Amino acid sequence: MKKTIVWLLISVLSVALLLTGCAQPSTPTPTATTSASPTPTPAETIKIGLQAPLTGNFAAEGQWAKQCVEVAADLINQKGGILGKKVEIVIADDGSNPKDSALAAQKLISQGLKEVIASYGSSVTAPAADLYDANKVVSVGYGCTAVRLTMEKQRPYFFRTAGRDDTQSEFFAKFAVEVLKAKRIAIMHDNQDYGKGVAEDAKKYLQPYIDKGECEIVYYDAITPGESDYSAVVSQIKEINPDVWFFTAYYPEAALLLKQARQAGVTCTFVGNNSVPTPEFEKIAGVDVIKGSIHLNEPMPQFLTTPEAKEFMEAYKAKYNELPGSIWAVYAADALNALAAAIEKAGSTDPDAVANAMRTMTDAKGITGPLMFTERGDRKNIPYYAYIYNEEGKLELYWPKD
Amino acid sequence: MRIFLEQFLNGLTIGSFYALVALGYSMVYGVMKLINFAHGDLFALGSYLGYTVLVIGAGWITQVLGVWGGVAVALTAAMLGIGIAGLVVERIAYRPVYKAGRLPLVVSALGMSIFISNGIMAIWGPRFQAYPPDAIPSAILSFGDIKITVIKLVTLIVSLGLMALIYWMVEKTLFGAAVRATALDRDTATLMGIDFRKIIFFVFFVGPALGAMAGVFAGLNYGRIIFNLGWTYGLKAFTATILGGIGNIPGAMIGGLLLGVMESLFEGFVSGAWKSVFVFLVLIAILIVRPTGLIGEKVAEKV
Repeated sequence: MKKTIVWLLISVLSVALLLTGCAQPSTPTPTATTSASPTPTPAETIKIGLQAPLTGNFAAEGQWAKQCVEVAADLINQKGGILGKKVEIVIADDGSNPKDSALAAQKLISQGLKEVIASYGSSVTAPAADLYDANKVVSVGYGCTAVRLTMEKQRPYFFRTAGRDDTQSEFFAKFAVEVLKAKRIAIMHDNQDYGKGVAEDAKKYLQPYIDKGECEIVYYDAITPGESDYSAVVSQIKEINPDVWFFTAYYPEAALLLKQARQAGVTCTFVGNNSVPTPEFEKIAGVDVIKGSIHLNEPMPQFLTTPEAKEFMEAYKAKYNELPGSIWAVYAADALNALAAAIEKAGSTDPDAVANAMRTMTDAKGITGPLMFTERGDRKNIPYYAYIYNEEGKLELYWPKD
Repeated sequence: MRIFLEQFLNGLTIGSFYALVALGYSMVYGVMKLINFAHGDLFALGSYLGYTVLVIGAGWITQVLGVWGGVAVALTAAMLGIGIAGLVVERIAYRPVYKAGRLPLVVSALGMSIFISNGIMAIWGPRFQAYPPDAIPSAILSFGDIKITVIKLVTLIVSLGLMALIYWMVEKTLFGAAVRATALDRDTATLMGIDFRKIIFFVFFVGPALGAMAGVFAGLNYGRIIFNLGWTYGLKAFTATILGGIGNIPGAMIGGLLLGVMESLFEGFVSGAWKSVFVFLVLIAILIVRPTGLIGEKVAEKV
């Protein structure tokens, strides 16, 4: 009997060792190889890196980002490139997780790139942004909205074309209380960087309304991402029966939660955050489940109106026969546009000059509007909208209507 | 009381998934003293097989046999296919290294697990796949305020029924006695005229087939599958196996159901964020008091 247990322990320990062993080599080590070799080869092209989650949980987003950036690069090249040179995109896969993100960053840095677009997911972007910063590489995030990325410490070489979580949370508080007239609000996150950030800020921005007695938070808790059965949480929501149920994490969980909730007879208004309404969400949950649900978002690809957007969408449609799956991918394209404008303004790809140009440029036009950045690297003036799924399961603009 | 009942029912459903997968771990461990890490991935593969059958056949199977006919076909195909896959895994990954001792076997099992989950990713892609909505029975039953989907109820009944059948087979029949004898002492059992190959066939066919069934039911219940599904469920099921007492078939069932109910009740009444912390605390506590698991004593005595 003892022998069995000893063997069992040994085998379990060995598995544990194997697993932690796998995780070890990826801890970011400062790269010594990068800055050492000044390569004087005359560059025929300007190389810009793209770090994207081509595999893993956010694989769909990664693929869209890649397609968008490639289309944007084609458009730039058709117009004569940057500083008269063609743009070439170098891609690295960050596998949707922080440890592979550091590896992907190392890979791009070691290829001597000075400007990169990186990445999707705040906890994935953070370690990469640190590495790029330490190696003086300008990086522009496109799907990372955690406030701390720019506010916790100053990264001189980090920018993002996406807005911040608190933009969205502020919008939610106003929207839920003033437009939906919600009295009892449930907030649910997934205990990860992004979702928790949005949830905490939503709580913060609801506080003034709570103080005035206009609403109360009746539920505030997290789910475990990656699971399939959320019936326990759903039963809880059903019991509490809030006016508005704000979910602040990603679409795979949102789809399951909403589906199981509707099956269990939960009827309250579901408000999803900006990474919920995707084609995958619609596919997993189905039309009957999603109709009537409201989602907060930056302008969505199909509702963009700038001339740049029109040109980009036409080119994208011609190549892929559909529109980009999410706004984040379009932000990736705009990250390239911002870098292109900044390099043009700086007159070189020198990271210091480019970073300076990013902060000072005022006339760069992007697909999603003007590309201007604050001292800390945040984008200026990002508009916000609420969209609703209609009876056919198609998104419509809900508020504010211009 | 109603909410407690509802949460308890939720827990039983989750638990029956854990229990079905845990059975496969426990059966193999009982006979081979091997933790079959590939089992969770066979479960995921089963889910994808069922998905493929439903996607390809949605047009005609569902039309000819109805939604439930389609479900039955998918279940049968997945169970047969994965049962055979289980035998293949045993033949190519375990039998050649069986004599080399425990650690090479564990490494071989891990390798098989990685091979299968990456194989799924290569064939079906890294993105979520959705079970075709037309092929999923969508009826919902109401008992007062409690609403439950028919497919959930069927999952619960079929898995509990099958667990009872396996229990009866292993504990009450002559063949079951042979399985138990082999688990105790393989050499002596072989000397007594028990055909070891038959026992191997049994555990490596039936275990994965049950896993495949759980996989198809997971797809039908939740509608969403992904290539690393086996990892999430495999880990929980393995925990359930240890909780109940590894190598012990009723132990795996009780461990699975208990784990599901604990998760559900804690999440429902205390906090979802702390669920896993609580569940594993209980696991550690139980293992301190009963190192062989809840009902592991019986088997352990005889070893």
